[in-house]
Amino acid sequence: MRELSKRQSRMLPVRRSFVLGVTLVLAAATRADEAVDHWAWKAVVCPAVPSGLPSTGNPIDSFVRARLTAAGLTPAPPASREQLLRRVTFDLIGLPPTPREIDAFVADTSPDAWAKVIDRLLASPHYGERWARHWLDLVRYADTNGYEFDEPRPDAWRYRDYVIQAFNSDKPYDRFVIEQLAGDEAFPGEPTALVATGFNLLGPDMTDSSDQPLRRMNTLVDMTDTTALAFLGMTLTCARCHDHKFEPIPQTDYYRLLAFFAPARFRHNLHAVTPPEEEAYAAALREYDSLTRGLRDEIAAVEEPVRTRLRDAKLSRLSEEARLAHRTPEKNRDGGQLELVAQTERFIRVSDAEVVKALTAGERARLDELKRRLKSFDPRRPPTPPLAMGLSDLPGPPAKTYLLERGELANRGPEVQPGFPVVLTSGQPVPATIVPVPNSSGRRLALAKWVVSPGNPLAARVIVNRLWQHHFGRGLVATPSDFGTRGRVPTHPELLDWLASELVSGGWTLKRLHRLMLLSETYQQSTLASPRAVASDPENHLLGRMNRLRLEGEPVRDTLLAVSGRLNPKRGGPGVVLPGASQAAGGSRALPVTADAAEYARRSIYLFARRNLRNPFLETFDLPDSNLSCPKRERSTTAPQALALLNADEALAAARGMSAKLEIEHPSPSARVEAAYRLALGRPPSADERERALEFLRESPLSELCRALFNLNEFVYLD
Amino acid sequence: MNPFTGPTDRRSFLRDAGGGFGVLALAAMLADEGWLVAAEPDADPLAPRPPHFPARAKRVIFLFMAGGPSHVDTFDPKPDLTRLHGQKLPASFGMVKTRRGVDKNRLLASKRTFAKHGRSGIEVSDWFPHLAGCVDDICVLRGCHGDSVTHPESVYLMNTGSILMGRPSLGAWATYGLGTENRNMPAFVVLPDPGGWPKGGAPAWGNGYLPAAYQGTLVRGGDVPVRHLATPPGVTAGQQRRTLDFVNRANRDHLAARGPDTELAARIAAYELAFRMQAHAPEVVDLASETAETKALYGLDRKETAEFGTRCLLARRMVERGVRFVQVYSGDTNGWDAHTDIEKNHGELCRASDKPIAALLNDLKRRGLLDETLVIWGGEFGRTPMTEGTNGRDHNPHGFTMWLAGGGAKGGTVVGSTDAIGLRAAEGATHVRDVHATILHLLGFHHKRLTFLHNGRRERLTDNGGEVIDAVLA
Repeated sequence: MRELSKRQSRMLPVRRSFVLGVTLVLAAATRADEAVDHWAWKAVVCPAVPSGLPSTGNPIDSFVRARLTAAGLTPAPPASREQLLRRVTFDLIGLPPTPREIDAFVADTSPDAWAKVIDRLLASPHYGERWARHWLDLVRYADTNGYEFDEPRPDAWRYRDYVIQAFNSDKPYDRFVIEQLAGDEAFPGEPTALVATGFNLLGPDMTDSSDQPLRRMNTLVDMTDTTALAFLGMTLTCARCHDHKFEPIPQTDYYRLLAFFAPARFRHNLHAVTPPEEEAYAAALREYDSLTRGLRDEIAAVEEPVRTRLRDAKLSRLSEEARLAHRTPEKNRDGGQLELVAQTERFIRVSDAEVVKALTAGERARLDELKRRLKSFDPRRPPTPPLAMGLSDLPGPPAKTYLLERGELANRGPEVQPGFPVVLTSGQPVPATIVPVPNSSGRRLALAKWVVSPGNPLAARVIVNRLWQHHFGRGLVATPSDFGTRGRVPTHPELLDWLASELVSGGWTLKRLHRLMLLSETYQQSTLASPRAVASDPENHLLGRMNRLRLEGEPVRDTLLAVSGRLNPKRGGPGVVLPGASQAAGGSRALPVTADAAEYARRSIYLFARRNLRNPFLETFDLPDSNLSCPKRERSTTAPQALALLNADEALAAARGMSAKLEIEHPSPSARVEAAYRLALGRPPSADERERALEFLRESPLSELCRALFNLNEFVYLD
Repeated sequence: MNPFTGPTDRRSFLRDAGGGFGVLALAAMLADEGWLVAAEPDADPLAPRPPHFPARAKRVIFLFMAGGPSHVDTFDPKPDLTRLHGQKLPASFGMVKTRRGVDKNRLLASKRTFAKHGRSGIEVSDWFPHLAGCVDDICVLRGCHGDSVTHPESVYLMNTGSILMGRPSLGAWATYGLGTENRNMPAFVVLPDPGGWPKGGAPAWGNGYLPAAYQGTLVRGGDVPVRHLATPPGVTAGQQRRTLDFVNRANRDHLAARGPDTELAARIAAYELAFRMQAHAPEVVDLASETAETKALYGLDRKETAEFGTRCLLARRMVERGVRFVQVYSGDTNGWDAHTDIEKNHGELCRASDKPIAALLNDLKRRGLLDETLVIWGGEFGRTPMTEGTNGRDHNPHGFTMWLAGGGAKGGTVVGSTDAIGLRAAEGATHVRDVHATILHLLGFHHKRLTFLHNGRRERLTDNGGEVIDAVLA
């Protein structure tokens, strides 16, 4: 019976969508009205806070209680102090509270004890590491290109660090949006704003595509889709090929939005420096070049004939096609030639050692001397500026954008101009006001400014809903990137609009919103529900209790490092390649393992993310695929997760590390048990638990108790 | 021995409950005790489920020839190509796009000899002497075509229905639709070539936007067939049991203190499953119980066939035990990608795979499993009739061969064809999407109705169309 009902429940939406489709076809003429009527596309109007109920002083509680009271329900009692501290610490920084922090909070009887905890955590640099991860899911972040070669993007991490820094510095969200869409146009000369535009290029990229115009179109499509999903909560993807079947979104809307990006040049080696720094660098480089030109020419005169001879000899052993591919200038190579060159390059590479070996003794001595002299100029050579991925505009007038029939590049329809989705402009296409900026069309800036303008009700609603989702486990709108007519309706529409208004009136600061949400009694409720509450609100739509949340893979791994005293708190910088993550995989090359083993114990957000070879531990715990925007992680419960926490090196090393630490710090088994529970679960053991643990230790080593604790439901589920 | 001997002795009956029944039994017991909210749809993503309509195929073995095998040298004889050998592509064929720009190159006749086999008289080249004996069980699709001339895009298309990376794979869709009947093994198993993964890597068996529970799991032979399966070094079996007992006891107390919670209950069940997997998976990959005759059938006694034969035999053992989808890769990262010297490249791979594949079909058949097991053979594309260099062939997504056997596919049939020289699919052309629609149909699904809501779209495997190929259905 269960299986049957499950099948039915899966098929039900299909039928519903079929009916809806038919309805929409029949009612196509009424689409414009529908656009005006749909809640999400109407202007945000700050609602009055419900009154007439006992107030906690936090309007969030008033909104939530109004619905609870109407349903005849009461809120759950507050969670215990230990539970609260564990909940909020994971929530804000993705790590467990330390025993000292637990003691301090439990002992702090001052009325603002809770507020102090929140402020402490929001001020922690770990806050950005935790919340940037949510954003990186949304923007399909990875450190490689994907497809066959999956080449590293050695500078992608600057975008990751930018996001961490943006959260930590509480960068106003409107500015955060503008920087990512149009940082180059809005804040020319600001390196961080340039790095932010990397957002647009984070998707997978087939560098050796046999159809380079299609490759460019795929990238434009990817940034258009992701922009609509991440900032607007709109699912435009369907409209790429045809008018949206279920939303009043015509196909022209898709290409009008895409047209904002059409002039963009995709940069993979932007100098992320200020203009004066760039000038200084260029000048220093010119000086170095002129100082050393003679020497370098002399070196080349010795080396190059030999190098060319050796290379030609190697080249002659390759196939005719490969020889031709290598001889074709890089910019003229087609996709097949790019692939062939990539595959055969290592066969024709001539190392310095090979060159030196082929020289006469006299030449060798002369080369040594020349190189020694060249080296003496090294201090004059300017270091390469930090590089980043991002956008600038191509020179000249913007390329025209056409509607593509069925989404096919070869199938051009009418030309379209940049413009916003008509559902947000009262059903009529309104041309965007675009003001060119120096060296750039100004199109993306026009888009970015509109996204965060009062004329667009979605940006604020969407981001406050995302914050709510991560704090409470489910958004007020349960489909966080789909605020369209097919998305879920908000459980508390007035609260959503009140929060959106608060965000904008408070200058778009996110930390203020976090604080508001966390200070509410709604957040501080226990997860325990009365049978009556469960019966009348099984899915907890009314928030009469706290949802019991499972940790994602990153906090699980980070906690294993933290509780065993091994977590390396180093912040930022290039991604860490773990020893198990370096092998060649499906056409990609092996990567050099990060040399310093201390780096392996860094937080998960700093692990190098390969599209074609994902971290198995994190993958087991629902690490999202990094190729499409992911607004909400799956939360599966599987046997491989159990196997990973039981048997993976991550768990074993943590168990041994933690027990070693406990043995040094605590003399008696009883004290060790006490400390182990506090470290792993954020609370002391009950008398029963203590007794059972001590009994366990009579036959088992302390490291096994630690390993057992990591496998408890309580370890991964927050009360 | 089951470590889950908790405080209630009622659990002990679970110890004796075999296979997937234990899960259901546990669920029932937890529901009994009030811990499991009934009819919670997300509690067990891999619970077995019926398809949309009754179907013959219950399981799939996908033999993936990575790199793209030549159809004109294997299953698609082209006398005209032989006749036109050494000539340029006739102008009547128009422009053609290939990866390495071989459209102006001369045509290259196959050096193979084709002969009719079986009652059906289907022609197969002499590279597949064993497989030729199975043609009456095979439905050959000679008019397949795809969308891209590159490996990764075509590997993704064949596996996920899209040339873009990151969509759910066929195996993920099948397990999403059907769950699995063997909870002691992963539902979707991938047996890659030990020499390397196909171009494009793990996304070929990824879950895309489907839940992670549906992704392909790499399995190898030996004591640790699945990652994280082995008890950690330095931990004895007895210790592992004590630790698990401790975990289980504490988890049950934790649940008891919190009242009904499906997720917490499901996680307790997951630990039981993990233990079962630990106990049973090594047995599944242990070939000791196979007879010498069977081993010889798969070519385990011969150097050139032993490796691929072992993986084919593993595939049979897995489907026999209810694994839903097994994908076996032939060929390392370059695999069948014979840009040069196709005779050497394909000759070796055919010698390595012919006998094992024939053995797999025959072995499934004699065990009565072929009828319920759909076997798929094919690569990401075929190869050009034009030569590359002097003796190679370039990628050809415009026309190529796949074949299906068992699972309700009509044996002894040829569906579709390529043009006179094997360049493009011609009569009865079937796009990869049509093949996908047909595979889902054989598994009992309306391919347009097996959907998953992702970012506001109801996504499906055959997102860009696709029609069931009626001629394939037995």
